[in-house]
Formats: sequence, structure tokens, C-alpha cells
Amino acid sequence: MAIAIFIIVLIIYIFVGAVVSKFVKNSDDFYTMGGKGSTILIVSTLAATFLSATTLLGIAGQSYTEGPLVYSTLGSFGSWIGTLLAVVYIGRKMKALDCTTMPDFFEKRFKSKWVSVVATIIMIIGLIGYGVVQFIGAGLVLSEIIDIRFELIMVLFTIALLAFTAFGGMYSVVITDTIMLFTMLAITFIIAPMIIGQAGFDQIKNLSETIPGYWTLAGAEDRSIGWSISQFLVWILFFTCMPALVSRVFPAKNDFVILKVASIGVFFAPLMQIPIFIAAGGMQVLAPNITPTDNVMVFGFMEFTPPAIAGIGLAALMATVLSTASTLFVLVGFALSRDLYERIFEKKLTDRQSLLYARIAQIIVAAVVCLIAIMQPSAIYWISIYAGSFFAVGWLPTIIASFEWRRMNSKAALSSMIIGVTTFVIFGELIRRGVMPVPEGIDELMLALVFSVGSLIIIALLTKPNTYELQYFTKMKQTSMAKITIKEFQKKPNGLALIKKQYRQVILSAVAITLISVAIWGYLFVQLGL
Amino acid sequence: MNISVLILFLNATLLPVLSLIIVVTILRKQYLPVIRQMEKEEAEQLQEEGKVNDAYKM
Repeated sequence: MAIAIFIIVLIIYIFVGAVVSKFVKNSDDFYTMGGKGSTILIVSTLAATFLSATTLLGIAGQSYTEGPLVYSTLGSFGSWIGTLLAVVYIGRKMKALDCTTMPDFFEKRFKSKWVSVVATIIMIIGLIGYGVVQFIGAGLVLSEIIDIRFELIMVLFTIALLAFTAFGGMYSVVITDTIMLFTMLAITFIIAPMIIGQAGFDQIKNLSETIPGYWTLAGAEDRSIGWSISQFLVWILFFTCMPALVSRVFPAKNDFVILKVASIGVFFAPLMQIPIFIAAGGMQVLAPNITPTDNVMVFGFMEFTPPAIAGIGLAALMATVLSTASTLFVLVGFALSRDLYERIFEKKLTDRQSLLYARIAQIIVAAVVCLIAIMQPSAIYWISIYAGSFFAVGWLPTIIASFEWRRMNSKAALSSMIIGVTTFVIFGELIRRGVMPVPEGIDELMLALVFSVGSLIIIALLTKPNTYELQYFTKMKQTSMAKITIKEFQKKPNGLALIKKQYRQVILSAVAITLISVAIWGYLFVQLGL
Repeated sequence: MNISVLILFLNATLLPVLSLIIVVTILRKQYLPVIRQMEKEEAEQLQEEGKVNDAYKM
């Protein structure tokens, strides 16, 4: 059965790629699905992007051994708030500035080749380091379940990914995310409740009697509050400017879609994580000695749910891997074709050539990622330790200062990005090797962030923005998604009535989501907290 | 009552509340004034059309 599901899922992706490729008429369709993204499509792709193999494997394993609150109370909370800010602050602003990719923003804001090159390199290393290790980890788990050689799984995955990313770009990614989201939601609404039901809320709650600290923030390992706060910071800073999340806003049809996604899409983040972490606690009741612990949820749906449900669980695991990997493929491919080749090397391409080069870039990225996954060079694991946080220390201070500070200029951006990333790696290595002792709860991310922000402020005060930077800042401050959307709606007959209708829909959806949240989390609190 | 569990579910509930506050603030600051202005213009236009019609009838 497992092999059949593996093949069916791959066929779905290849089929969608073939169908969607017919809708891709130009590079705009390829990069941002022509700005046709409806609320349901953007909510689905954001939710599917948020739920990665990390949640289903690594963090579920940590919740199983140490307790469901260790990561979720502050670490997850940081990622939820980060997702909200990525949509409503960074993504919304960049979309208003007509950015097709995130490095586009650096190009438009500074018109500096060096800033664009450094920003793009940070993104490529960050995404590959973060994505490839997940790709490898989930591939190893799948290889064990379906009894196919790991190398063959990686090659088959790459072919399936290529079939829909090279032909459909972001269009295919959004559509496949939407189709496969139902399997991911099955974990939240069917598999996790089945495991929790078999374990029983009382037994899960009573785990703290046999494993001291299991239902505390510190967990069974008695982690410090400093560690929890540092987890919160890592995830909020990383997710706020994570290209995979921010770029999900670019295909949105208009501002009303973005505002609905800010309430509906963001609600999916805790909805998809918390039940998994509680179910991992349930697995501690049902099967207390699972090793490796990363396999806890896979073991859960294979052993404690009917075969058909287990099949959906397996498909969901594949969907999370493919969703993460497809994001990695398209964004790194976009960076190669658009941000490096077209912009930095100043190649004037026709739209047809641009689309062709974008597809060639996808093939190059796919081949490189597949090779890295199969060869597994030790350097990739070293890079993965730092990769996700590259965005937090390298990009975030520059992006926020670029949005909000008139004095911000290319020199300050360049120094902040380079100093942020290099101090982060240097402090990380010094702390890891025991050369530099640091107080409890202080880590390399906090130190590097101080250096990144500090250098940005000092250099910006010592230098002046040029005429272009000042003009663009003024233009940027006058541009907003609201103005663009209102202008679009005013062109339509009965524009005022349509704006009012959307206005009401946005408020209604946000209020409804709040009430649903109170009901769901209130129920679980009564079951587990009282 | 387990305070750690309470914090988790309060955080999960705080998220949509925060979204609601942000979304309503954006709508009130960036859309409501424009809607009011458009309503005013529409009313003036209707009034103008009404006057023209009255004059024509007279």
C-alpha cells in the first residue's frame, strides 16, 4: 500500500504540472501566477508552506520525549506571529512595491549591484541549508516506510518536482499546495484526534506523574526560560522575513485577499501544529519507547489508525516534503534566473527568453539539490545549523530599516547584512567549541543581531543616502496596497459597493476565526489544563 | 490549573485577536476614509442628477 500511495502522490504532482503549464503564458504567470491568487489559494499555499517536515518529524519527536509544551508554548508562538508579520507587514509592503521576488526589493530600494548580490547569496545559502536537510531527513524516513532505496526516492522526488516547478513555476506550487492541503489537514482533524482518543486526555495529562516536568514549559529536560525565549526569538525573526512565506503574498489578487489571509491563513499555523504535539504526547502513553523519536507521528498513523487513514498520513508526509522542496526549488531558481542573471548581469531578455531561462534555472537547481541530497556532504549539515537564521540576522534589520528609515542607504544595508551573517557564524562556532562562554539564555543569534542592527545604525548615521534612495523612499511611503486595490475597484462598475462588500467580508472572516479559535483552544485547555 | 498549558492556549487565542486588531486598524485607517469620500461623491452626483431632472421636468 505504501508504495502505491508514493506513486499516486507523485502522479498527482506530475499531472498538475502538466495541466497548469498550459496556463503559464508569460514570466509573470511563472513567477507570481499573474497575480490571480484568490483567498482560498493563498490561504492553502501559506498553510502548506507553514507545515514542514520539521513539525511532523523533529519537533513532534521533541514533544514526544520532553513534553508538548517545550517547543509549542514560545517557539511555535514565535513562528505564528512571524507568519502574521510576513503576510501583513513585509509581504503586503513588497507586493505594493510590485516585487516579484524578495531580492527584487533590495534591487528597487538601493539600485546597488553589491546589495543585490549579497542579499541573493544569503537567500540561496539560507534556503538550500534550511530546505535540503529537511528533504534528506524526510526522504530517509520515507525510504524506511516504503522500503525503496533513499537515492531512488530522491531522484523520483526531483523528477516529480521538476515536472511541476519547471513548467508551472509558482502557479504549480500554489495549485499543488492547495490540492495536497487536505492530506495535511487530515493529520490535524483525523489522525491526531484518533491517537489522542486512544491514549485518552486523562492519561496524557497524567504523564507528568511518571515523567517529571512533562507538562511544563521547561519539559522533561528542565530547559531554562532563557532557552525558551531564545527559541521564540529565533522563530519570530526567521519567519517574519522567510522568503517561502513572504513570497506567498505576491500572487494575491488584491489587498482584500491579503487581509483575509492575515486572519484565516495565520489561524492554520497553530491549528496544524498543536494537535500534532498533543498527539505526540498521546504516543508517549501508547508506545513509550519509540526510536528514533523523529518517527513518532509516522509510527502513530501506521500503527494506531486504519490502513486508509494511514495512507492519507503517508501522503501528508510526502506533501510536506514536496511543498518545502518545491518552495526551495522555485525560489532558488527565481534567484538564479531573475535576480542574478537578468538583473545583476543586466541581461535584457524578451518575456519569452525570460520564461525559458527561468525554466533552465529550475532544472539546474533541481540537479544540484538532488546531488546534495544523495551525496550528503558534511558541509550541508554545518550550513543547516545556521541557514534559517541567516534571514533573521542578514535580512530583517535591513528590510525594516529600508521600510521605515529615511537615512537608510546601500552602505548601511551592505554592512548590516555582511556583519550580521559573519558574526552569527563566528559566535556560533566559538560558543559551540566552548571558546566563548555566554550567560544562560544568550546565544549567537542575539549577539549577531546586536552587531547587525548596531552596524546598520552607525553606518547609516555616518553616511548619507543618495538622490535615488531618497526619491525611492518618498515613493515607497506614498505607495500602499490599499491605494492600489481601491484604484482597481474604482475602475469596475459599482466599485463602491464591491469595496464595501469586501470590507465587510474581511471583518467577518477575522471575527469568525477569533470565535472559532476561542472555542477550539478553550476546549483543549479545559481537557488538558484544568 | 496548569499555568504552562494556559499560556499555550492563550497564545494560540491571542494570535487571531492580534490579526483582528491589525486587519481592523488597516481597514479603518486606509479604507474607511476613502469609502466615506466615495459615498459623499456619489450622493452629490445623485443630487446633481436629481436637480438636472427637476429642471428638465419644469
